[in-house]
Amino acid sequence: MNKALAVARWEYIEKVKSKAFLISLLLTPMIMLGMGILPTLLATRPDTSSQTIGIIDPSGEISAPLSAYLDEYYKLPNGNPNYVLRPFSTRSPEELVSAKHEADSLVLDEQLEGYVVMGKTVMSDSAFEYHSQNVGNVKLIERMNHAMRDILVRKKLEARGYDPSVIKDLSSEIDMKTIKLAKSGQEEESAVERVFFTAYGFMMMMFFLIITSGQILVRSMLEEKSNRVVEVLISSCTANQLMAGKVIGLSLLGLTQMGLWAVIGIAISLKMAITLISLPSAGLLFLYFIFGYLFFAAVFIAAGAPVSTEQEAQQINSYLVILLILPVMFAFTIMQNPNSTLAHVLTFIPFLTPTMMAIRIPVQMPSEYEIAGSLVVLILFAFGAIWMAGKIFRTTILLYGKRPSLKELLIIVRAK
Amino acid sequence: MLTVSHLRKVYSTVVAVDDVSLQAKKGEILGLLGPNGAGKTTTIRTVLNMITPDSGTILFDGKPMDERIQNSIGYLPEERGLYRKNKLLHTIQYFASLKGVSSAESKRRAYDWLKRFDLLNYYQQKVEALSKGNQQKVQFIISILHDPEFIILDEPFSGLDPLNQILLKDILLELKQRGKTIIFSTHQMDQAEKLCDAICLINKGRVVLEGAIADVKNRYGKNTVTIEFDGDGKFLSSLSSVQTAHIFENYAELILQDRQAAPQFLREIVSKLEIRKFEMTQPSLNAIFLDVVGGAPKNGEGPS
Repeated sequence: MNKALAVARWEYIEKVKSKAFLISLLLTPMIMLGMGILPTLLATRPDTSSQTIGIIDPSGEISAPLSAYLDEYYKLPNGNPNYVLRPFSTRSPEELVSAKHEADSLVLDEQLEGYVVMGKTVMSDSAFEYHSQNVGNVKLIERMNHAMRDILVRKKLEARGYDPSVIKDLSSEIDMKTIKLAKSGQEEESAVERVFFTAYGFMMMMFFLIITSGQILVRSMLEEKSNRVVEVLISSCTANQLMAGKVIGLSLLGLTQMGLWAVIGIAISLKMAITLISLPSAGLLFLYFIFGYLFFAAVFIAAGAPVSTEQEAQQINSYLVILLILPVMFAFTIMQNPNSTLAHVLTFIPFLTPTMMAIRIPVQMPSEYEIAGSLVVLILFAFGAIWMAGKIFRTTILLYGKRPSLKELLIIVRAK
Repeated sequence: MLTVSHLRKVYSTVVAVDDVSLQAKKGEILGLLGPNGAGKTTTIRTVLNMITPDSGTILFDGKPMDERIQNSIGYLPEERGLYRKNKLLHTIQYFASLKGVSSAESKRRAYDWLKRFDLLNYYQQKVEALSKGNQQKVQFIISILHDPEFIILDEPFSGLDPLNQILLKDILLELKQRGKTIIFSTHQMDQAEKLCDAICLINKGRVVLEGAIADVKNRYGKNTVTIEFDGDGKFLSSLSSVQTAHIFENYAELILQDRQAAPQFLREIVSKLEIRKFEMTQPSLNAIFLDVVGGAPKNGEGPS
């Protein structure tokens, strides 16, 4: 056991100092913050200059109220209107055609951000189009949509003889808050974005944690193999001690990474005075992380031990990345529907369990039975994987040349 | 003392080692000889418990391998390598810690050995800063730092310059004096001849020749002639009195049919070559190796 600890110590100290680890340690939170916060920041950041938007309105009903509406609700920080409407003349059918051509070319010249076009019958069919080079400007499109709907509704109500003040009252903005209910009966005001960000953050953390340490592990085993250090190691301790040392060292590495991220997370939540996650949930997630990490460490060892060239190592890494990216693909569905059958089923697949729980726990705490059950399955699989990896490691760590096929690996695992 | 008996290891269809038995005594150097692919490395790996034999036993001073014995074995693998990015001292200390040497003790010993190998300047440097030969010296230091009782070296001399070869040879002889059991494998027969007390020659997975060097040579008889000459010596092999011939540019080692034929043989060649040296001798290990492994024609004397 002392030898396993000696190996663990070496593995930990050498890898904690390695560049790959330092990069992943610092870069990952940055990437996560970047992906989680930047788009929101950018999307909600106010524009700095007015945008001109063309309008082609043969009905003559919309131009004026739309202009007034945009002036009233959307202003730049300096007080100028955010959007300036530029009407095109549409008195004759010929003018309508040439107006569209002119608007098109102005948009392409970037003198117009875009233009709105509707038919004479807009009051009855409520149909209009928005033309622009940039139809990904979600903010503008949403505002335009909103403004048009409000105006059309008001106009129709006016036509039916409602008092404009009543209309204004009826169409006032609504204010909805989302309250997260916990089993304990506590209520907590909780923004959808924050829950989403937390769940997403935990999932990505798990993903990066496993990817980076897995790659560090496979690479270091390859180095030991190609410089034959492994022969000296195996002549000094048993293969089991060597592997145990590697698993312990790698786990400590993972804990270090998690610890640092936790500190960053706590700092952020203190600074922004928000609770990202409650303490019991964090503890539970920690359990899933630990055993998930052990499970994957074993998988990486089993996959890495037979490898003897750089190309093979890359191939192995890319397979494992695919395995890890699967839960990311399911993430959005699960977040929207944390109690669906799909979510329950995926939770019990060991290599998905930690990430599924990372998503589900912040959104909605699963039942005690599900937690206990999935933990037991995960732990059993983690130890099973370590046992299997041990067999493969013992047999293949001194093997050079042709990588054993899956069939040969199965024979190794079955052997006594 | 290391005793290997009836070792057998089969890889799927290839018999790597077949019924190999050998003995390395305390205070002796055993040369493990044989051509490439003969089974030397498999034998060594089995002894080191890196691979499990299909049958056979390996005993260290009469006991099977355990952790205590593992800590008293030093091993230098044939293909060399170290962690490139790590500091010399840390690397040495890591391997020593795996052999149960305390950190303070390994530091002290590393210092002494590095000094002896003239590597003290590199002490705090990364391994990759060292030349290949120096890295090899470091690896040798790693294999003996824990003062092992059993020292197993796979081709320890390859890659070292003559000066360092002498240094290594001196250290091996010192270790032998101190009663260590030493096994080393080599292709270089002259090294083995100078250094070994006994040899074990393996070919195609089987022991074909073993024993103390003097005994082995005696078994090969005294009818060996070495000559140094000027001229074209090719004809030597075709002479009727010559049983086996190993002919080089200005040197030849010949085994005669009969020791009595030597004077006649000398008369025959003296007219055709300018002889600078003529010696009746024991065969060299090299000649024996070529004879046994190369399957050179032999009739009459030889190992039975």
